Amino acid sequence: MPKEAIIGPGNPILRARRIPLIAMLLPLLLSLLAPATLIAPVGAQDADPGYAPEDIWSEEYAFQIFPWGPHGDFEQLQFREYHDYFSMKERMQTLAAYYPDFLQYHEGLLGGVNARGDEMTSDDYKGWYYNHPSPWMKITGNVQGGDYNEFNDDDGNYADRPDVMLVGNHHAREWMSYEVPMFFLETVAYYYGKAGIDNDGDGLIDEDGWDGIDNDGDCLLLNATNQDSNGDGILCGPGDLGVDEDFSEQFITDMVNTREIYLIPMLNVDGNRYDREEFCGPTAWENCYRSGWRKNLRDNTVTGVTPIPDIDEEVDEGCDGVDLNRNYQFEWGAPLGATGPLFPGMCYADGPNNDVYNGPVNYEDNDGDGLVNEDHVDGKDDDADGQIDEDWMGGNSEPETKFIQDMTEMNDDDGDGASDFKVTLTWHSFSELVLWPWGHCTNCYTPDDEYLVYHGNMMGEMTDYAPMQSSELYPTTGDFCDWHYGVHNSYCYTIEIGNAFHELPEDIAHIAVRNLGVPFYMVEIADDPRYRAIVGIENTTATQWLEDPRNVTVPAEGDIPIGLCLDKAFPFTPDVNRTHLMWRFVEPNRQQNDFGPTEWIDVAWSMTPFMELGEQCILLDGSNGTMLESHIPLPDTSVGKIQYKAMLGTINGAFPFTYPTVDEGGNYYELAIPYRASFGSSILAVMMFLVIASFVWGGLGLTLRAMFDDERGVIGLPED
Amino acid sequence: MNPQSEPSSDQFSGRLGLIFATIGAAIGTGNIWRFPRMVGANGGGSFLVPWLIFLFLWSVPLIIAEFALGKRSRTGTVGTFRIFAGPKFAWMGLWTAWISTAIGFYYAVVTGWCINYFQTAIRGGLTQEVDTTDVWNNFLQEPSQVIFFQIIAILITMAAIWKGAKAIEKANVYLMTSLFVLLFTALFLAFVMDFEDGTLDGFVFMFSIQPEYLLEPETWINGLSQSAWSCSAGMGMAITYSVYMRKDEDTTLNAATMCLANNSISIIAGLTVMMAVFAVVEDPLSAVGGGSSAITFLVLPEVFAKAPGGPAVQLLMVTIFFLALSFAALTSMISTVELCVRNFVDHGVDRSKAVGFTSAAIFLFGLPSAAIWIMVDDSTGVAFPQFLEVQDHIWGYGLMFSGLFIAYSIWKYGWSRYRSWQNENDLEGFDMGDYVENGVSAFRDDFVNTGDNDWWIGRWWDAIMYIGFPAMFAVLMLSYFGDLLANVHDPWDPTNPHGISIILLFWGVTAIIFVSLNKYVLINRMIPTTDSPWPLYVLTGDYELEPRPVYRNVPEGAEAPIDMLPGGDDPFVVGAGESLPESFVDEYGEKRSHTMASVDAILNE
Repeated sequence: MPKEAIIGPGNPILRARRIPLIAMLLPLLLSLLAPATLIAPVGAQDADPGYAPEDIWSEEYAFQIFPWGPHGDFEQLQFREYHDYFSMKERMQTLAAYYPDFLQYHEGLLGGVNARGDEMTSDDYKGWYYNHPSPWMKITGNVQGGDYNEFNDDDGNYADRPDVMLVGNHHAREWMSYEVPMFFLETVAYYYGKAGIDNDGDGLIDEDGWDGIDNDGDCLLLNATNQDSNGDGILCGPGDLGVDEDFSEQFITDMVNTREIYLIPMLNVDGNRYDREEFCGPTAWENCYRSGWRKNLRDNTVTGVTPIPDIDEEVDEGCDGVDLNRNYQFEWGAPLGATGPLFPGMCYADGPNNDVYNGPVNYEDNDGDGLVNEDHVDGKDDDADGQIDEDWMGGNSEPETKFIQDMTEMNDDDGDGASDFKVTLTWHSFSELVLWPWGHCTNCYTPDDEYLVYHGNMMGEMTDYAPMQSSELYPTTGDFCDWHYGVHNSYCYTIEIGNAFHELPEDIAHIAVRNLGVPFYMVEIADDPRYRAIVGIENTTATQWLEDPRNVTVPAEGDIPIGLCLDKAFPFTPDVNRTHLMWRFVEPNRQQNDFGPTEWIDVAWSMTPFMELGEQCILLDGSNGTMLESHIPLPDTSVGKIQYKAMLGTINGAFPFTYPTVDEGGNYYELAIPYRASFGSSILAVMMFLVIASFVWGGLGLTLRAMFDDERGVIGLPED
Repeated sequence: MNPQSEPSSDQFSGRLGLIFATIGAAIGTGNIWRFPRMVGANGGGSFLVPWLIFLFLWSVPLIIAEFALGKRSRTGTVGTFRIFAGPKFAWMGLWTAWISTAIGFYYAVVTGWCINYFQTAIRGGLTQEVDTTDVWNNFLQEPSQVIFFQIIAILITMAAIWKGAKAIEKANVYLMTSLFVLLFTALFLAFVMDFEDGTLDGFVFMFSIQPEYLLEPETWINGLSQSAWSCSAGMGMAITYSVYMRKDEDTTLNAATMCLANNSISIIAGLTVMMAVFAVVEDPLSAVGGGSSAITFLVLPEVFAKAPGGPAVQLLMVTIFFLALSFAALTSMISTVELCVRNFVDHGVDRSKAVGFTSAAIFLFGLPSAAIWIMVDDSTGVAFPQFLEVQDHIWGYGLMFSGLFIAYSIWKYGWSRYRSWQNENDLEGFDMGDYVENGVSAFRDDFVNTGDNDWWIGRWWDAIMYIGFPAMFAVLMLSYFGDLLANVHDPWDPTNPHGISIILLFWGVTAIIFVSLNKYVLINRMIPTTDSPWPLYVLTGDYELEPRPVYRNVPEGAEAPIDMLPGGDDPFVVGAGESLPESFVDEYGEKRSHTMASVDAILNE
């Protein structure tokens, strides 16, 4: 079988192996060129195909022993066990006390008159049931300095430092969603101010930062069983030993010094305590692996005083609680995509607990104009009275959501009247996703879609989580990100961590490691996420490539596949009108001039769509990209050349990005197409030859005979 | 001016002589380099179908017409049209002669290339080690070399035609016989090459019909154009050579023989090229799909250099091939020059003078093609002669009009015969049945089926000349211009050497000049009435016109009446050696004496 046939489209399995093999070999080859220090501990001459982690790295790294401590529970410090509310809070306080320069511990907000003119007290931010305010950490360089915010009660407010809000544990049972922030906090606390640390003990410094790629190729040196240390089935992927293991401490320091980070690891303390202490128990992974208590502890039963519950009353597991991530005001409870009842108000006598109950309807006349709920929070002036979103129908009814809302709206260091949070992140679990607005509508896109897609793709790549718009998963209303983006134009992402609500304790550490890059990424882009996306997209376009004619394999028959390697973060549109292969088949003009160079037929360009193959490819900068493929339909009998170029459009309509780029020479590639069909059947050819020969040569013989045969009469002479 | 003083006329020694001469004219480089490309580009065996059909729809009927015209008129193209289409249309003959000669200007250069490649090959300059592109570029970019071989080609041609019909015949017999032998040898070697790997894929491809190609109009158009060019039908060559026919010569079977022989050579040459290329080249169809001369001068030397049997066989093969190519080119060159020379001789110019004059013109006007605008194709790095290419572009399709003019003469004759038949029978109006019976078939009855033929031509021939030919002409023209419109940028820019405007411009100017020359040069002579030199007296109008005599080459015993023809009753159309009328009636009705009436008077001038 010819080579083309083996890797032709008819053999998808064999074909699929092609790119990953290269992907695996290339870093390996590169690593062989790396300084000898990398190879020395393991012996460069050793023919053994793989090594144990401890052969390559320090014991600590090999066994995932984190350097921080020592005060506190060792297992929790090492993320082998879950923190609970109290140990978490204690650890936060310890760290804040230990690192007062850049960490400041807080609980709830102090209160005052909030942005909507309501008089708030610190009690308003305490949970209904256990009465804890959400603990949070202000992280910034010289956190004691800067301005003091009277409402939020925090120091370290600098007008020139971009702010970023990182929120964990909206949903009580999603324990990883506060462990990841805690891991982030530990990382920041330990590495701030340090530089040049060899995190993995291989002698190299800062050689593998957060990007989801084994940049230094050390993971590939491991024997096969160790290459998938987190057991997710992907060798040397995010979360595996040796991947993103040696980040830059200087980067962390710089980020802390130039950003204000508001880290709220556990928003829903009420719910979390209830889940741990009552609903599932402290070993929830055993009985509540993928279940548990989700909401806060609002008293929805009609027995008590509504909305303030009777604190003596037990939580009614069938009725109580509000889903905090449905309780934000933007498009609260809007019919489209509403996953909960619109106006339940209270518990149904015989109905099941509604896990996504979005809170009670607000019957107040919020703006005092005599009308109720006439201008819903959606960024529009629904009643055309010149004011926007001034009389909402609900949402923001819970202490936790009020806390988020007020912290957001009262954090205005530069006094421009707008929230300082240009970037916000919320952790959830589970499903391994990266989500961005909108959540409240389907087939609708934010004006910033392309940029949100870009950052989402970047974080998806970092974690190997699937990036998508929130409503593509399922529509939701009143969630954190719709509100942040919709009301405050903040680039907001929801990370769905892991594969269970209550992950096994032994999985905490590697899941946390896998998710560590994301908050740092968010912190980094907090200065100007839009501009960061624009620049990022532009950079990705320089590393993407269209398959060079030298690499194109023309199959022995059928369509000719042309690959396009795209950066996974590039927000390309699948719309064929804007993302497609332009090609034309140029064949020699059949009416050739006899003496000049070959003349080619001038034909119009055709367009074929690109399809995602689900294969990896190597971008020009060596990182992994997504392989797209377009098929040029061409009869096997065609001889000539195909000129082709790729046109790429982005979601927001930037068009076109063309490949090959101008830097690569001409504005299209040219691929010679040989004759691929059979030349014909020998038997038929001989028959045809006989026919032609008898016509031409036979005819010639006939005429010659007639010519010299004087006896014979005239051919064709009529009888008369 | 010196009318032929000897009464003897020139003729071929026999039927075979005529056949060889016409085959020599028909077989040219087109059979060897254009035919294989056409086969490659048009689906192999699929191409052979239209190619063969149009042989009988276009080439054979047109050659029959040419033979019939020339055999009766016994003059070259100008005289033939003057006699058959009438004095007002003598310019058609000039057009026909001009197109052939204009092609000859650069064809001599091309013939020179072939000769050069032959001598390079025989000296071992085309072995496996050499880069054929270098050989080609070095040669083409050195004008002195190109001109040298152009001169060689012209000298050989001159030598062949200097002495007239007998010499032409002899040269063609030798060259054609050698060509057959050479091509058969090459075919055998190519067969061995192609069969070496166990398959005859070149052969198989060439004779495999790919049905989809048969459904494409382009295949048919290309089949037609290949048939039209390859046999030189319509070029006036057959008119010219039929001047030298013996009196009872066949005009119909000869046409078929000549065309079939031409196609036989095409098949042999095509098969040779295809089998050799398929045996050696990895992507053979791309190799034969490019420009024709590129295949010949770039691909084939490489191919032959890889022939089995070692260096000796390789040398033999490449030498044989280019010798055959040179012979094919030379015989075509001979007919081209003869076509022009014949017209001069018809009008009283001494043959040697005419040959010398024509050869000098072909050399001089061929110089730009040989030496200027030698470009290099950016994408391939191969040199090509832009000026030559443009010449080919402009004049190549002018040939079609010559064919149209021939058809026109036939239509005209048919119509006049129908009218006179109507007069005889006192009929008026138009009746299609009568027209077909007494007009359409008139030419065939009077000039084709003369009783000397071995092949009686039926009514199908009328149908082709009256309906088929104009239709095919239109298709060819439209497709050619359509192709230019579709594939050439700025086809209407007159400075674009590949455009349409440049063609129409050259054609238009040429036609206008020729039409306006008709009265003053072709059928009349200008006699100065003052002492001013030429061209002063032309500009001042101090001249008088007198009829220009045409001397027909009528062999003894071959006299046939031409009075019924539009230009046949002209007293100044005389047989060679006959004396001219002493006087003529000028346009004012006055009787005047002719300056050339007395041979002695002329000689004493």
